Amino acid sequence: MPHAAGRTDATRAVVFAPLEGAGRAALVEQRITDAIVAGVLRDGERLPSESDLARSLGVAVVTAREALVSLRENGLVHTRRGRDGGSFVTFDPDATTRLVESRLRSLSRVELRDLSLHYAAIAGMAAEVAADRASDDDLASLADIDARADLATAGGARRAVGRFHLEVAAISQSPRLVQEELRLQAEAGPLLWMCLREEDARDRSRIARLDVIQAIRDVQPERARRATTEHIAGAVQWLIDEKTRIDLAAHPAGGAASSVADPAEGPPA
Amino acid sequence: MSTTLDLAAEHISKQIASTIEPVLAMVDGWRGVLETELSGPFAGALTGSSEAAAETLDPVIEALVGGELERDGTLITGAGFVAAPGYLRDAQWHLAWWLSSANTFGSPGTAVLRRLDAVSDPDSEQFRDYTTLEWWRVPERTGRRHLTGPYVDYLCTDDYTVTITTPVVADGEMIGVVGADAYVARLERELLPVLREWNGNGTLVNASGRILASTDSRRATGALLRLDGLSAALAPLHEEHSAQATQLPGGQLVVPCGDTTLALVAEDPAEG
Repeated sequence: MPHAAGRTDATRAVVFAPLEGAGRAALVEQRITDAIVAGVLRDGERLPSESDLARSLGVAVVTAREALVSLRENGLVHTRRGRDGGSFVTFDPDATTRLVESRLRSLSRVELRDLSLHYAAIAGMAAEVAADRASDDDLASLADIDARADLATAGGARRAVGRFHLEVAAISQSPRLVQEELRLQAEAGPLLWMCLREEDARDRSRIARLDVIQAIRDVQPERARRATTEHIAGAVQWLIDEKTRIDLAAHPAGGAASSVADPAEGPPA
Repeated sequence: MSTTLDLAAEHISKQIASTIEPVLAMVDGWRGVLETELSGPFAGALTGSSEAAAETLDPVIEALVGGELERDGTLITGAGFVAAPGYLRDAQWHLAWWLSSANTFGSPGTAVLRRLDAVSDPDSEQFRDYTTLEWWRVPERTGRRHLTGPYVDYLCTDDYTVTITTPVVADGEMIGVVGADAYVARLERELLPVLREWNGNGTLVNASGRILASTDSRRATGALLRLDGLSAALAPLHEEHSAQATQLPGGQLVVPCGDTTLALVAEDPAEG
């Protein structure tokens, strides 16, 4: 079949796909869950009202309500009644860990690799262009981010990785790369950098950062890109190994077969 | 390079300066209003309050910058005041920054003057200590106006921007900066026709040699112009706003553009 013809039918199908319904509520729920897990929405923060949320996301009020009900059931928000009432973010580190793990279980290896490829395309290209465009001031701010990095905790190391990649994207002088970097961090940051729970992954993240800084200082675009994409590839490899471990722990009887077939996998959340 | 060409390059650099200098003058004017408001015999005249507070200052800032932001044909897309941490009674960190209707960042579909929604809670993962950013750091160090960019302004608008900031001083201390943003895309439309009056390749760079606009289509905005001797020729722009024209070993003429800290790099038409 000619690819072009198939493509047209697929894109037409997307255009005319129904806009309302359970799919949209799940998307709203996922967006807000990601934001809470990534720390974009903070503990105790009041969410917009159902109608404001619906308006800003461009969905029906009933869809926003449905998403809030699921978030409440997952313990991510709680609702208070009365004059100062509303929905408030509940951030619980243990619940967050469980959520990231359940997200990891729900995604297939194919999806995980695709996500990391997308992220590597953005972050790698940003590093390549940044190596050509960094001024001395830019190098100083990259070194400063590294100096302030808190490698003692997973959260501190993840924030350092996020801030570093964001700064590299900004140094590439591309608003689109910056926006995509921000979007991907909010969507997948905690999942992708789950490896930073381990101390040697945190040490490796620092080595990668110093390597990228050196490549940018030496105006070596190829090396800056490679150091970035290899770091991301390492993170996803850890993630897939961790997924295998979790899946096998949940289904020990499956043995070797389950690591191939991944029976625990459902549709993406 | 002949004197005639020198004069032609000087002429173009003056035109570039006259495109941007009205924005500089406007920012200096806002600085004057705020300094009068925040210290001295007329302190509190506009806010009606003797103590600086975000609550009373914000409406004054909005009135100050709102008119220009909504003016047809304005070069700027954002403007306002950023307070030194701890200066205002009721806000430790404070950005009183307004965005014009041309800027739809964060609320697509709306086209009205609106306040930048900044993260001012230092515990938030999204919080940025703005005193580490160039548009704060440089005026703080030099005590003078500074042009930052072109750069991707991911703290405010996520767009490709030039920001002009100048210190606001009360009782001998810098208590904040006042300034304005302009989109590079908008500046390019204004500046390219001026640059094209030069008969060779004309490139406008900032004091770090970063390209703001060029008639040479291979020279991308945002890239660093790498020419022998250019860094040395631009170095005076970091220290003093008006510097002398110089010629690089490669024959290019570097002409500072008035008070803007930008410079025109003009390549001899005969060689170009």
